This record gives sequence, C-alpha cells and structure tokens, in this order.
Amino acid sequence: MNQQEISGYFDYNATTPVSGAVAEKMVASLSAFFNASSSSKQAQVNKAMLQKARESVAQLLNCRPEQVAFTSGGSEANNWAIKGGLLPYTRTPGHIITTAIEHPSVLETVSYLERAFGFEITRLKPRGNGAVSLADLEASVQDNTQLISVMYANNETGVIQPVNEIAAFARNHGIQCHVDAVQVVGKHAVDVEALGADYVSCSAHKFYGPKGVGCLYIREPEALEPLIHGGGQEMGMRAGTENLMAIAGMAQAAEDCIKFVDQWNDHYAVCKVHLIEKLRQLPLEILFNGDASTAGAVSNTLNFSIQGVRGEALSALLDRKYGIQVSIGSACSNNDKRKQHSHVLTAMDLDEQRIQGALRVSFGRYTELSDIDNFVLQLECCTEKLLAMSSVV
Amino acid sequence: MYSALIVNHFIDPEFVGDIASPQIEFEIGNSVCGDRIRVQVNTVAGVVNDIAYRAWGCATSIATGDIFCESVKDASLSDLSARSDHEIEAMMGELEPSQHHCIHILNELHRTLITEAQAKGAL
Repeated sequence: MNQQEISGYFDYNATTPVSGAVAEKMVASLSAFFNASSSSKQAQVNKAMLQKARESVAQLLNCRPEQVAFTSGGSEANNWAIKGGLLPYTRTPGHIITTAIEHPSVLETVSYLERAFGFEITRLKPRGNGAVSLADLEASVQDNTQLISVMYANNETGVIQPVNEIAAFARNHGIQCHVDAVQVVGKHAVDVEALGADYVSCSAHKFYGPKGVGCLYIREPEALEPLIHGGGQEMGMRAGTENLMAIAGMAQAAEDCIKFVDQWNDHYAVCKVHLIEKLRQLPLEILFNGDASTAGAVSNTLNFSIQGVRGEALSALLDRKYGIQVSIGSACSNNDKRKQHSHVLTAMDLDEQRIQGALRVSFGRYTELSDIDNFVLQLECCTEKLLAMSSVV
Repeated sequence: MYSALIVNHFIDPEFVGDIASPQIEFEIGNSVCGDRIRVQVNTVAGVVNDIAYRAWGCATSIATGDIFCESVKDASLSDLSARSDHEIEAMMGELEPSQHHCIHILNELHRTLITEAQAKGAL
C-alpha cells in the first residue's frame, strides 16, 4: 500500500484497500485450484476452506453458516433478496416499501419489478436529518405489502436508519424484510439475529476484503428463490463454481473485523470529532448534511457543503493538486437538459446550491489524525482559490 | 476523468482576474448546471490585447474559461469570428460525456465576444 496515497484517501465508503492479512490469505488460496464442489480427495481441502470461510462470515454476522450465501457483492445480494423474495408474487404483485435514498441496486431493482410485473412501490423520503421515520413507514403499509427493503446506513450521509424498529414491525406484520447493510458491516458490529430481518446484504470490499465478493444472509434459506440457477453450489441457492480466492479473502476480512471492529469504530469516532472541530474553525460557511453525530450516523462518514463552491471543482482540485480523494454530491450531467444531483441529498430536500457544494468524507482504519489535519489545510486552500476565481461572478 | 489539457488549465489558470476598465465585458452561463463565466476584454485595432475571466462552476468549465482566454489573446476579432464550430470543439481536446456541455460554453464565449465587440464598435 502506498503510504502517500492512503494518507490522502478519504473515500472508504466507496471501497477500502485490501489489508495485508487478506492479501496473504488470497495468495495462499491460489494454489488450491480444485473445484470445491467436486467429490475428489483433493477437493476436500477446498471444501473445508469454503466451509471455514462461511463459518467466519456467519460469526461476523452472528448467524448459522448455512444462512450465509456468498455472492459477487452487495449489488447481487440486494438483487437476490428483492427478486428472490418477490418471485412467488409476480402473478399477484402487491406493494413494496423502500426508501428514496437506497443504493441504485435496490432502487433500480424495485423499479424493474414495478415496470415488468406491476408491483406498487412506496419510496419513503427521509426527514431533514437523513433518516426515514418509522411512523412514515407504518403509515405507508398496505394489506398487500409483500416486502420492505431499507438500508442500514446511507452511503452518502452515513445516517443510520431505524432498521431494528422496521425489522421488528415487519416481523409483527408478516412482511418480508431486507436490510442492505453494506455500509455498516466493518464499521460497527452487526448482529443479524438481533436485527430480525429476513435478508441482509454485505460486501467484502467495504471492510478491507477483495472486490467481487459479498454475501446474503438468509434467515430461512429454503424459503428464498435462487437468482442464479444451474449447479448445486451454495447449498443449491446460487449456481456457479465458487470464487474461492475471493471468498478466502472475505473470510480473512471477516475474522479481522470480528477482532478489531470495536477498535476501528472508536478510531473513526475520534477522527470524526476531530474533523468536525477542525472544519468549524475554518473561516468558511460549512453546512453538515444529515445527522453528523457519531450516534446518528456511522462514525467514519461526514457529509458537508461549503457555501459558494462546487463540490465537483473542489474535489478535482484536492485530487489533482494534493492527491486527496473525497466523494461529491453532484456531478455534471451527460446531457444539457438533466441535472445529475445526489438522489440522497435531493430526497432530503436540500437546496440546489447545497447539493452542488456537497462533499462526502469517509475514513478508515489507515486514516491518521495528521491526515485529517492535512486534509482540512488543503481544503481551506483549495476553497479559497475557487472562491477567488469566482469572486464577482 | 480529466484530460491533461483540462487539468492544466483548471489547476493553474493563467487568465483569472480583472481588467480595471474593460472595453468589453460579458457573462455567459449554463442554466442547467449553473456554471457562470465573466469575461473582460480590451482590444486595440481589432486585436484582443488584454483579457481576463472569472468563473463559478465545474472544473472543466473553469478550464474552458482559461482555454478561451489563451486562444483569444493577441488574436484579431475578424479571425475569431471565422472560427468554425469544429475548430472550437477541437480546442477542448478529449472530453468525457459529462464534460461536453463545456463545448457549448466555449462556443457561446466566442459568439458573445463577437456580438459584444460589434456592439462596442471594436469589430
């Protein structure tokens, strides 16, 4: 890992670097090329590796190993939970509740079901703090509601959604419940047993594992329709020869996470408080988007807007001049007629200038307080430069 | 992604600033993305001898202002009025689809300069 690159990396919600331990485990697994589903003697080692990996991920989520099905990542897990959960209802399409701030792999999947089969969709808007309200959800439930899909924490604002209450409500009303926990696993402990949802998605590359692998927790595996048919892999739930190298990497990431997640979470909280203090000392008008507390949002994420500058230009300047990477709330459109603003900040009813000025900072286990000091220093410098460029426009 | 041309003109623009008493001053904008560029120009005998701009917008539109100023400085207004759309587009180099709106901005900067120069009797 390049120390200079990682010091300027503030986009851990997009993806995380593979840890040294994960890389070692993946390299070691390369020689184990036998098909884990084969009955040969040599394949037994691979089968054992796969089982051990499933146990590690199950321990991370606090569930039984047979409730964990490996996928190609969070997007597949989200697609599977929603499509698989609703496949029995395609001839009697009912009602789905989700939120307007979900990941596109949820939003576009429910839109597909709406378009292709006639499901009715309620997309709950968040309140000003960035969280949807349980009362709004309760008010939107219908007799024919067949699925509730809500993210655990939002990827842009980090705001934690009331998933425990929503999952309990769904259970009490006999409604299937899916929780996209991609942005939470690895940031703080997730107990799917206590959560009580039917399906929970997670993705390895968000917690120092490799890209291209994730999993879906399925409370009752026999009740969910497969998304990919063909072979008997993943207990007959997902066809395709297992990507053992990626799964081994995910398992190592899960084991590290089990040991260190509380420590990481404490570190993120210290970083976040430090960043907020530093930002408040700047002679700039800064507005925090969504709940900025360490209790109301995952502790590694902060979303804010600086009045008078475009987030896109600011992030480009930070990147190209100082090697600092952050994420933005608004990008230029691919055509001249449509705005390309963050659907999350838009759903929060933030004004256009604020959305155009939004930056998302997300840090991780390799972030040091001195990195944050440097970030704030260069942020001020770049902002002043852009403000000076536009001073009379 | 930004091309090297855009990065260079965005990070260290040469022409950001003001002219004390400009002969020509105009502002253009993009109503969708909100980008705005103000340009100030002085001419002598139909040639641009001084130019400055200020901009609010995305990195590519800030770079566009600088690319425009650099290409216009020391050029004759009559030559500039003959620049084709194709020539203007080529000035921007390689762009991502999301940056294509800056070709329109560069076109508008050219058109408005000529219109304003004619209105001020500089062309």
